Amino acid sequence: MFGYIRAYKPYMRMFEYEIYKSIYCGICKDMHRRFGFMTRMTLTYDSAFLALIDLSVRGKKLKVRGERCIAHPWKKSMCAACGSDLSFASSVSVLLTYHKLRDDIADSGFKKKLIAYALLPFFKKAYKRACVKYADLSDRISEAMKMQTALEADKSAGIDAACEPTALMMQAVFGEIGTNKREKALLARFGYCLGRFVYITDALDDLKKDIEQGGYNPLIIYMRSHDIQWDGQGWFPKQIRELCDATVNMSLGQLADCYVALDMQRFRDILDNIVYLGLKYTYNQVKTEKFNKRNKVRKGTTEL
Amino acid sequence: MTNGKDPYVVLGVSHGATEEEVKAAYKELVKKYHPDQYQNNPLQDVASEKMAEVNEAYDEIINRIRNGEYASYQSTSNYFDSARVRELIQTGNITEADNILSSVDPARRDAEWHFLKGSVAYKRGWFNEAYDHFTQAHNINPNNAEYAAALNQLGSQRGGNMNGMPSGYYQNQSHDACSCCCDLMCMDACCECMGGDLIPCC
Repeated sequence: MFGYIRAYKPYMRMFEYEIYKSIYCGICKDMHRRFGFMTRMTLTYDSAFLALIDLSVRGKKLKVRGERCIAHPWKKSMCAACGSDLSFASSVSVLLTYHKLRDDIADSGFKKKLIAYALLPFFKKAYKRACVKYADLSDRISEAMKMQTALEADKSAGIDAACEPTALMMQAVFGEIGTNKREKALLARFGYCLGRFVYITDALDDLKKDIEQGGYNPLIIYMRSHDIQWDGQGWFPKQIRELCDATVNMSLGQLADCYVALDMQRFRDILDNIVYLGLKYTYNQVKTEKFNKRNKVRKGTTEL
Repeated sequence: MTNGKDPYVVLGVSHGATEEEVKAAYKELVKKYHPDQYQNNPLQDVASEKMAEVNEAYDEIINRIRNGEYASYQSTSNYFDSARVRELIQTGNITEADNILSSVDPARRDAEWHFLKGSVAYKRGWFNEAYDHFTQAHNINPNNAEYAAALNQLGSQRGGNMNGMPSGYYQNQSHDACSCCCDLMCMDACCECMGGDLIPCC
């Protein structure tokens, strides 16, 4: 997915961090087992969040055991075992990545296109396998992707409309989880708000690059329609920061309302951390240009 | 709405009346205006008209009471059927509600229109648009409590408020002298169980 949904580590307890990591690890292994080796390279911590919600809502048990990992073969790390069902998160990860690759091939720069072409064959089979169980979800994702393409061609959408495809996609994903009608509705709304958050954060993250290369970005459209002059150097302009703050805050405020109504008990502390601290922290990192997709500190900047 | 008349005035009850009071008032009026009493009477037409008015007012008030406190200060618009739009929004028929709102002439878009347009956007998840419309509704009619409440709620979230944030997330609470002593006493007790002693004087 995008990598913007992650926990704020300094406020995590050690055992919470272990569980969080073990779920990430478990999904990685599950993807390997189910969909083949290459798919696991595209995993992000977003999927761990999805898995946490999934396990929490459906009340599934988490079994953890020490396993060796391909990224760190010299030490055994805690890993969610096959007993705890992580298939939903791994399938969704594959579905989203597949559609993302298709999208990259359709409309992006040469470099990205090349990577997408290289990766796509590995995902074709995996995608078909994931589709067997989640055909409906896959349809809704591809619909949202089409909507996104149409919006990008149109180049006139406001912020709300621009967020819509990603939000609908996440709405479909999270709506899938609930066990009854009320939960499904709440989770769908939760996903919608989360999608808005992710999209606007991504737009801000890519803004400089898009200004340089002339790519599509809803914030550039906003700047044009509000006569904001900025050449992509230095800090983001004040109006842009305020707009993003407002959008992110409102989306997260509504997201929190749904989260409270859902009242999930299992993994509550970890989920609290991600919902109340992690998301805002990521956004602030992006806003101050300290964000790194691979969760490393950017060169020349200090964290904390 | 009963031909623009306040339903509470028609029934002769106060705005805060309970369901029982409204029912009692309604029974009284039905006795008074029932068409059966006016057979072969020149006042028959007036009475049946009055009866219809009373019925309508009664339904309106009972609905308001049953739909919760919000409805009790519900506002309306002179330019479109706002009750219908509200009903559509409440039942989740957003597209239909939006269609009705979009068909209103731009020159006639009043506070109520902006409020309902904002509500549609809010339901849909378009919070930026919702906030703008709520702000406009509030600017046009600052005295309306419903508009103010909607704006206030979204505005506080816009400022960064998140519902249900665990208290003490940004400050560590348990570091006062008292709990420190408790910890020491516990530790001492544990040590003594194991044969050692942490605090020799107790």
